[in-house]
Amino acid sequence: MTSVVLALSPFADGIPLFLDALGAFFRPSTLFGVLVDGLAKAALYVMIASGLTLIFGLMGVLNFAHGSVTMVGAYLGGLVMVLLVSQETGDPTRLLAFLLGVVVVFTALAALGGLLEMGLIRPIYDRPPLSQILLTFGLTLILDEFARIVVSFYGLQPISEWQAALATKPAALGQRHDLVVASVSGLKLFEIACGILTVVVIWAFLTRTRYGLYVRAGSEDSEMAAALGVNVRRVFTVVFALGTGLAGVAGVLLAWDQSWGASVPLAVETLLPAFVVVIIGGLGTFRGTVAAGLLVGLIDATMTWWFQNAIAFTGLPEMTIFLVLVVVLVVRPQGLFGVEEVGGH
Amino acid sequence: MSLLSVEAVHTYYGDSHILEGVSLEVDSGEVVALVGRNGVGKTTTLRTIMQLTPPSKGRVRLRGEDITGTDTHDVADAGVGWIPENRRIFSQLTVEENVHVAVPEGRDVDAARERAYETFPDLREHRYRDGGTLSGGQQQMLAIARGLVGDNDLLLVDEPSEGLAPLIVSAVADALAATAAETTVLLVEQNLPLALDLADRFYVLDDGRIVDSGETSEVEESDERLRRYLSA
Repeated sequence: MTSVVLALSPFADGIPLFLDALGAFFRPSTLFGVLVDGLAKAALYVMIASGLTLIFGLMGVLNFAHGSVTMVGAYLGGLVMVLLVSQETGDPTRLLAFLLGVVVVFTALAALGGLLEMGLIRPIYDRPPLSQILLTFGLTLILDEFARIVVSFYGLQPISEWQAALATKPAALGQRHDLVVASVSGLKLFEIACGILTVVVIWAFLTRTRYGLYVRAGSEDSEMAAALGVNVRRVFTVVFALGTGLAGVAGVLLAWDQSWGASVPLAVETLLPAFVVVIIGGLGTFRGTVAAGLLVGLIDATMTWWFQNAIAFTGLPEMTIFLVLVVVLVVRPQGLFGVEEVGGH
Repeated sequence: MSLLSVEAVHTYYGDSHILEGVSLEVDSGEVVALVGRNGVGKTTTLRTIMQLTPPSKGRVRLRGEDITGTDTHDVADAGVGWIPENRRIFSQLTVEENVHVAVPEGRDVDAARERAYETFPDLREHRYRDGGTLSGGQQQMLAIARGLVGDNDLLLVDEPSEGLAPLIVSAVADALAATAAETTVLLVEQNLPLALDLADRFYVLDDGRIVDSGETSEVEESDERLRRYLSA
């Protein structure tokens, strides 16, 4: 992507330089680069938020521990890859290590999620939502502190990205590749592919399987689903397990991304955008989450380009996704695809 | 042995005592109407049988087996279907999917759908539409179809004519009559002529208690025996 750093101040000679930046932005290479960047961000947002939206849609539980599960997934997946990959390891083997990391993380965290649902969350379904929020927030504190203790014990810096895990990435993903009209990062293309795969798998689960049908029915009216013979409690457990497993898988991918990386603060860094995406899409709707992920990802990428290339200030782009949230909440409080009420139990 | 026995159940919503010792029996093959004014506990009686609002005292037995306190899905698996007030169709699921949810695991879904469409041909035409886009009458047909494909021995039907135009009520009545020919029905209905026309026996519920019961052939809708408990 052509980089145009105008370093302009919005207060001096702003208009002519703004017009220059506008011209640069609409070059095909810039637009394509921003599009790829936006789709990669969207893919990550959708991967992070999917589990959260499935859990909230069916169970009405706002899982504040979701980001912490992603963080644990990043460390656990990173550990698998660090153990299997050395400097001499070729790209195919590194990809296989990633896949193994995904399988290990999904299995372990889905099992953890299932146990948490059965042991801790199930007994408080009939209590006010505040109980669930406090419980999952407490889990966040436990998981974050546990991770901090473990990584510190092994001599890692908890608040900065785990470089050894970043280094397990295949060389092809660390390089840029000429594609159509611009040079794009291999990792971003990989993230887009992972995002598409995640959406297809979840969509197929929800629309092509009996269990997916139960999830959609239970999300809309769990009492009616139970009266039709659906074991809603079992579906709750399966969905909580799937949701936490998906959160962990997103973490494995983030362990390769320099912008995120495996670190303890990753829990908060992923929880906030996940909530933003889920709220903008409409609490509990998967297609809303996908649409909101795309919207937020593309706006984020566009604003990042403008702030980095036309205003030379990198602090504000992250704020734009919260501005999108505010606008959506004002214009359409239930979100893009939201229904008035979810989690009918 | 009765198919369903409700034995002196007491049911509460919070501190509100809704059912105060309700007892009733439904035999196989019967259509039994439960009538009464608004707010006397008819819907709560059905919810209590389904264990959606379990009783705090008393027992509910199905074929003699105590189902009190069991999970609602187990009650459904045991052969009790619930067609609730306001239909409660899954609005974001298609007609086909709404029917599919009601088909017990291991049963032939296509055959069950075919049975539903044969009973309600209108549904076949709209099978790919979302449930929420159907008219009130179509939703009621779909709700009854869900009860039918569940292979239920007993259907609990709550206010099937509520909110429907007279012409549609007639179609729903025909559908219920066809359903009653195949399965046992406990019918909650404010439309007294409809209830008496469909049912073999009736119970009158007032302020959470059964205050009268009998054969529908013994009464007419204008009978003081019924009117005093049904007029507001």
